[in-house]
Amino acid sequence: MKRKKNFKKNKKSSRHSKLSLFQKSDTKFARSCPFSEKGAPEIDYKNIKLLKRYISESGRILPSRVTSVSFKKQRELSQSIKRARILALI
Amino acid sequence: MNCYEHTLIAKQDLQESDVKNLISKYEGIINKNSGEVLKIEKWGLKKFSYLIKNNKKGFYFHIKLNGIGKTIKELEKAENIDQSLIRFLTVRVKKHDLKKEYFEKNES
Repeated sequence: MKRKKNFKKNKKSSRHSKLSLFQKSDTKFARSCPFSEKGAPEIDYKNIKLLKRYISESGRILPSRVTSVSFKKQRELSQSIKRARILALI
Repeated sequence: MNCYEHTLIAKQDLQESDVKNLISKYEGIINKNSGEVLKIEKWGLKKFSYLIKNNKKGFYFHIKLNGIGKTIKELEKAENIDQSLIRFLTVRVKKHDLKKEYFEKNES
């Protein structure tokens, strides 16, 4: 919990502080979670089209650092992918 | 009462009358053990993404039901000894979504 708080603080402060010329901005490449936005699709083991975006060609689950899915939604996602695997849909 | 979603996969070489019997049989089991069926979806004959016990295709049925733990226990007990089934999956959900259907109805 403590770490998370610090992380948030750092992010806020870095956003407001002025960047030097040669410093890469860390907010530029940060994508928000595609499932946490407004009007985002619900994660469901029956929605094969959606789940297929988050598995590799060989059928492995993609890590959240690649897809920038939040930790909570990644847990839901991996659970539903595994359910779809049981039913031989993926 | 809990909300459950139950998916069955039956073998490919079933006649239409067998399919009807199969569904009504499990519906009866659910109703007997203090549960109620809300909706039955037929996803039709679908190809598996991998072989299951040397089967390539199977009939998919999706049942949305309300029930208690005993309902599911009795249902799965009956399914475990059923030769015409390949696989089943029960998922507990917080709320039923009766409108959305991800699979088209294939009457075949």
